[in-house]
Amino acid sequence: MKFRTAASITVVTLLALSAGCSGGSEPNTGDGKSFEFWSFTGINQKASVDEYRKTHPDVDVKLTEVGSSVETAQALTTALAGGKIPDLVLIQGDDLPKFVQQAQNFHDLREMGADKIKGDYLDWVIAQSSAKSGQLIGIPTDVGGMAMAYRTDLFRAAGLPTDRAAVSKLWPTWSAYIETGRKYTAKTGKPFVDNAATSVFYQAVNQGTEKYYDPQGTPVYATNPQVRQAFDYGLQAAQAGITAKQSSFTSGWNAGMNQGQFATIAAPSWMLNSIRTNAPSTKGKWDIATIPGSSGNWGGSYLAIPKNAKNAKAAWDYIAGTQSPQGQLEHFVTSGALPTTPSVYTDAKLTGFKDPFFSDAPTGTIYTNSLLGLKPFLIGPDSSAIGQEFLNAITNVEQGKGQPAQAWDAAVKNIKTAIGK
Amino acid sequence: MTSKTRRSRRRPAERVRWWTYLGLGLAVAASLFPLYWMFVVATTDSATAYKLPPAVLPGGNFLHLADLVFTTVPFLRSLANSLIVAVCIGVGQAVLCALAGFAFAKLRFRFRNTLFLFVVLTMTVPTQLAVIPQYLIISSLGWVDTLQALIVPGLASAFGIFWMRQHLSTALNDELLQAARIDGANTWQIFWRIAFPLVRPAAFVLGLFGFVTAWNDFLWPFIVLKSPEMYTVQIAIKALQSNRDIDLGLAMSGSFLATVPLLVIFVFVGRRMVSGIMDGAFKG
Amino acid sequence: MATLLDPVQSIHSAPARPVREGWGERIAPYVYIAPFFVIFGIFGLVPLLFTFYVALFDWNPIGEHVFVGLDNFRRLFDDPRFFGAVRNTLSIWVLSTVPQLIIALLVAHLLNHVRLRFAVLFRMSMLVPYITSVAATTIVFAQLFDRDYGMLNWLLSLVGVDPVDFVQSTWGSHLLIAAMVTWRWCGYTTLLYLASLQAVPREVYEAAAVDGAGGWQQFRHISVPSLRPVIVFTVVTSTIGGLQIFTEPLLLNPSAPLTCGPIRQCQTLTLFLYEQGFGQFQFGYGSAIGVALFVMVVVIAGINYLLSTRVRRER
Repeated sequence: MKFRTAASITVVTLLALSAGCSGGSEPNTGDGKSFEFWSFTGINQKASVDEYRKTHPDVDVKLTEVGSSVETAQALTTALAGGKIPDLVLIQGDDLPKFVQQAQNFHDLREMGADKIKGDYLDWVIAQSSAKSGQLIGIPTDVGGMAMAYRTDLFRAAGLPTDRAAVSKLWPTWSAYIETGRKYTAKTGKPFVDNAATSVFYQAVNQGTEKYYDPQGTPVYATNPQVRQAFDYGLQAAQAGITAKQSSFTSGWNAGMNQGQFATIAAPSWMLNSIRTNAPSTKGKWDIATIPGSSGNWGGSYLAIPKNAKNAKAAWDYIAGTQSPQGQLEHFVTSGALPTTPSVYTDAKLTGFKDPFFSDAPTGTIYTNSLLGLKPFLIGPDSSAIGQEFLNAITNVEQGKGQPAQAWDAAVKNIKTAIGK
Repeated sequence: MTSKTRRSRRRPAERVRWWTYLGLGLAVAASLFPLYWMFVVATTDSATAYKLPPAVLPGGNFLHLADLVFTTVPFLRSLANSLIVAVCIGVGQAVLCALAGFAFAKLRFRFRNTLFLFVVLTMTVPTQLAVIPQYLIISSLGWVDTLQALIVPGLASAFGIFWMRQHLSTALNDELLQAARIDGANTWQIFWRIAFPLVRPAAFVLGLFGFVTAWNDFLWPFIVLKSPEMYTVQIAIKALQSNRDIDLGLAMSGSFLATVPLLVIFVFVGRRMVSGIMDGAFKG
Repeated sequence: MATLLDPVQSIHSAPARPVREGWGERIAPYVYIAPFFVIFGIFGLVPLLFTFYVALFDWNPIGEHVFVGLDNFRRLFDDPRFFGAVRNTLSIWVLSTVPQLIIALLVAHLLNHVRLRFAVLFRMSMLVPYITSVAATTIVFAQLFDRDYGMLNWLLSLVGVDPVDFVQSTWGSHLLIAAMVTWRWCGYTTLLYLASLQAVPREVYEAAAVDGAGGWQQFRHISVPSLRPVIVFTVVTSTIGGLQIFTEPLLLNPSAPLTCGPIRQCQTLTLFLYEQGFGQFQFGYGSAIGVALFVMVVVIAGINYLLSTRVRRER
């Protein structure tokens, strides 16, 4: 009988424990001042939250870093489909269009006070979080901008200039960049860039007047010559043998960065943190030059409030409190996330900011300059899937598995299958 | 083979050749090496994993990495979650499958054979393919992000019923049952006081396997659990890996910490698991 | 109530009392089997039927549900990604099942010696892979098979072979996943075979040895035939398990987890289902994939039934 009593006690206790422990501890919803916040990893929202709590000590912010940006978006989807929803969620720009399309799942932030502060933000950025009906579902927290990070020591060894102005002159266009890469690889026998898909194609395609959709929302990825041109640049880089074939954010990419396997990476402002954390031993050996094509953006996130959030007001207060121009400027100083509020672009804190890891490059100025040349284009609901197939096609050629001549057609065909259009 | 007409003398058992031990040694090495490698990286850091020729000795960095694991994700909590889920499923399966197995083995009731056939048929259906509606049902019950969403569905084990029925058929003979009935025992008493004690070892082994399977389950917890405090240890490992700036040492540390509890338990009950597999082997 | 622990005695000592054939007694069997049927019904059967239902819709989990009839299936049969996933799943299955069975057979034969020392230790250590978590296994194997820094490629380079990109190539990734699956299940399968082998009386082997049959011949003519039913069993369970491989491909490619790489080189059917359902927000299409999986399982179960009856008849 001992087994029986022991077993029943165990089971009962555990069931009680599990019932009590379900769903995690919710913030005190009574006072309406606490809220649940989902963010993704690598963007250091914790610093923002800590800052906010200094000025609002009575607010309990329960921050959860769910996973990568894609995983956070998926978690948000499953939550909206029937689970516990957070009060505030950070959505990455690539994942945003699907949610904008189903804007009924979110609060229209204009009703909560956004119409007063809308004007503070870059118009093409705000446009992305606005639904067709005019609903505003997200306030932008940052943009990526774009520049080319390069290793000064490796450039010196290859006989290339190391001063950032001189380096920027080396590659005003992508063709010039690929040519420089050829010279480098011929001289040193090592790869010039980490990969062709993200560092070349992905950046080039963002520099046109139109991307995968026309202003009316019709997919034009297959016919847009600018997309085709960017794709060809990617193919050329892959075929020139100047890439290390390391896909971004893989362990091989990390290791390669540490060991100087490649000399350049197309880096938005947030990636500088990745480089800093992944390759601390390379401190001081990097610098930042202008990206070929001179303008660009990768990334950018938005704060949104799901429709049935229990603590919507507290969540909105957080947004208003942290995403003001001053708030974004402060966040830039601590985490390098580029503000989306043009009024602070000339502020001394931003222009005077120098990053010692990257040879004291004035990252604030460099990255905000890269935003200036950007022309707003429509990002549609399937832009992310379309971009991914193009990336895959180029990676395929780069890995020696795809035929360059068929790569474009294969990509278009895959896109048609994936999105049905 | 020719048959012997005279009774052959009992020969001593064959001596085991050395290459048998070599082959078995290789098998053991192959079985254990990946775990050893995990241990090496978990006690040094990522740079070790990237060294060529590979380093094969453990280092002393374990505590630092372990500490990092516990701060990056609520790992201790996830260990507790896994423990709760796995124990509930293990014990639950042991008891419930014994109950149902007893009913199918020894009780007479209408449709018994048809119902049992149904149970056997469900063994072939991988319910994994219905995860989408399973998720919809769980969310309509309000069980998303809870542990009961993992426990309750895991209690239904067709294989467990099959297994317990086998054991009960052989362990419990009908005379014993009849005698008990004559003495006025009701069905529950027969089960709890006669049948279950007889198959306790088998039920225990079933519970063990249920425990291990529940501990290592990935897909369903991945879909159902959302907040990091609710993660089971498998999802916690994945969370370590999907950090944008991956640290392999961290991921391996987490993996190692997730495996150690099972290894410890295995040291104690491994023999039972081995005999469990061998007893329940498919007999023609 | 007479003591139930001594029924024999009580037969003779106490007068016979009929059991109350009450309502409780009559429903007892149904109550005992009810938990399984209720739980399986709610979490197994209903979702299965519901999958068929959802597959007829364009079902956005956070948007609308539009009835589209058999459109999802039409799309599925036109979808090269689906056939790619089928091919990947089948290839991984073959690569993991065949070596696994062969190795298990050989090792079981090795273990089947009466005077084997450390037998228990051998058996236990072979079961260790089975208890290791799948996520942990994938992380370790992915690193061991890494293109630039993995131990396996380093060993290959020692004998002059160029590094193989296991994760990015189609066959390489299949090999890698198959290696993981084999590693995990080989010990378990070995023990199953060992049990069956031990059911063969020693005299049979001895008689063969006296007749001059060597170890290999004993293996071929005694061990293997007696293992036929359990081999069929393991093939079938390996198939059904193989159709469900999800975690390994998911964790192999952190940069493209849901498609298992840029060309979906190792995307298995279950991963494809998850990607379409939870990644692309297409519950309907994902459910259609689920239906396709179900059909495959039924076909395989049918083949198994035919095979095992044939084996039984042969005995």
